[in-house]
Amino acid sequence: MRSRLTVTMLLALLTLPLVPPARAQNALVVSIWGGNWKDTVDKVVGRPFTARTGIPVEYEVGGTIDRLAKARVAKGSPLVDLNFTTTHVARLYISDGLYDRLDLAKLPSSKEIAKEAFRSEFHIGSWAYVYTVVYRPDLVKEDITKWSDLWKPSLKGKLALPDFDPSHIITIAALMEGGNEVNWQKGEARLKQLKDSVAAFYSTDAQSQDLMKTGQGPVQVMLSVNAYHLQEQGIAVKVVQPTDYPGVVGIDTMAVMAGTTKADAAHQFINLALSRDIQSELVRTLRVGPVNPGAAVPASLKGQPGVFLSPAEWKERGYIMNDEARAKNLPGWREWFTANVVKK
Amino acid sequence: MKLLLLPALVVLAVFAAALAALFRWSLLEFIPGSLQTGGLTLANLRGVLAPQYLGAIRDTVVLSALTTVLTLVAAYPVAYALARTPSRRVRSAILVLTLAPFFTGAIVRTYAWVLVLGNTVVTWPVPMLFTERGVLVGLVHFSMPTMILVLAAALSHIDPVYERAAASLGASPARVFRRVTLPLSMPGIVSGGLIVFAWTLSAFPTPELLGGGKVKMIANVVKDLGLDSFNWPGAAAFAMLALALTLALLTALGRLAAGRPS
Repeated sequence: MRSRLTVTMLLALLTLPLVPPARAQNALVVSIWGGNWKDTVDKVVGRPFTARTGIPVEYEVGGTIDRLAKARVAKGSPLVDLNFTTTHVARLYISDGLYDRLDLAKLPSSKEIAKEAFRSEFHIGSWAYVYTVVYRPDLVKEDITKWSDLWKPSLKGKLALPDFDPSHIITIAALMEGGNEVNWQKGEARLKQLKDSVAAFYSTDAQSQDLMKTGQGPVQVMLSVNAYHLQEQGIAVKVVQPTDYPGVVGIDTMAVMAGTTKADAAHQFINLALSRDIQSELVRTLRVGPVNPGAAVPASLKGQPGVFLSPAEWKERGYIMNDEARAKNLPGWREWFTANVVKK
Repeated sequence: MKLLLLPALVVLAVFAAALAALFRWSLLEFIPGSLQTGGLTLANLRGVLAPQYLGAIRDTVVLSALTTVLTLVAAYPVAYALARTPSRRVRSAILVLTLAPFFTGAIVRTYAWVLVLGNTVVTWPVPMLFTERGVLVGLVHFSMPTMILVLAAALSHIDPVYERAAASLGASPARVFRRVTLPLSMPGIVSGGLIVFAWTLSAFPTPELLGGGKVKMIANVVKDLGLDSFNWPGAAAFAMLALALTLALLTALGRLAAGRPS
């Protein structure tokens, strides 16, 4: 009797991790990155949403691909109702049927937003930023004003690039040679010239910021949000608005998970996140660009890279890659980049 | 009585199922830009033989071998002192210093090395950070505590009578060490070497942070393929080959250590 009890208890312990965490029965579950992203969305969108609708919001946090993997495993009966992810990774969710079509009739705020934020009939932009050139003027004595400055011999050994996603520098090199992200091969020779300039490659935002802080990578192709964050921490970095080619735009997006029973609540959440007031607060807190051009933007951010307030600014100051081409090309780009630029 | 085996069998089944799933993924066709996979293919396993991936495998084996040897050389005197120092206070101090890194965590320790190797604290005559040299320093430091503990355990089991007998017969201290202490501590050297070699083969945070993307070991490539390229079949294929490589190397080393050449 006792041994059976022991075996039962052991089995119960072993299966414990398989049991999903307890959630409030009527809670809307939002999947998002951890840290500042979750905290800000909770404070700026989640709490007002609960105050207006009475629906509590809970969060599933994790990295971009961890959350994608979980969503895939739970296909058909999702563990979350609404998902935040980057626009090209959203293409992977869509390819596997993990997203529901958005019902724009339930998103009246979407009438106000920039057309660039409509990424597909399944996902919609929540905010924008750019990958651009960022540097420390105290460690780099010459002015950097253009993408092409990265190829200057004087910057040899000072550059840090993202190797987890080299699509930005690949696209810029292609643009410089008359191509784009589709016929990116035009920039291959130019990219190879960067090899000796690179001090390090980073694979996370945290590494990027550390390289800048310690001076190990004082010139970077960097996420504008991270650069503004460093400035807030007192690190004197300069965020370049390149004069030759625009910064490469990134758009984070929201979508309703296929199979959720709370699609209406998810639409309400998205609608609130797109509204003017909430967008203003997101911009102020996250230092991102709004997708609702009517959002109030602090004076310190107006005109800065990644902050677009009119159709003209979206068009002239940012280059938006084709999401689908990016999602399809990224594995090949990484392989080529590793073999030709990263490899010793 | 047989019921007592049940938990072990359940754990074994879980691991076997995970490995089988990994193997199945490694044989599925990768479709870029999609989470869907195609039919069965050997392309992923062939893809592992691309020059940049072979380079990562070579770097992993070389760094693991060097780490094992350097850790052994650096750890042996400390372990000897830990096992043989008569003063209890000194032994305690050595033990505390040896165990201290365990309480800081791999990431924190590695970030500390980023500062030390990056010319912010010390100016190095040759570049250290983001080179194989820097990664090697980090791996040796990471492996030292375990090697010290394993060696100290082995050394403490050697009866000092043997060393005294050799000395009384006229052997110099160096000769005593070479002919008596070292051979008798061989079980510890083999165990410590195998442990350090095995876990260095799967090292991730040290090359990730100290390699600056320029020095990649097998685990880093698996992460790159799986998490950055969304190529789960490719990552699974690389992981399977890495597992096979690790088992083969450890088997060969085990046989060599046992004096039975394969």
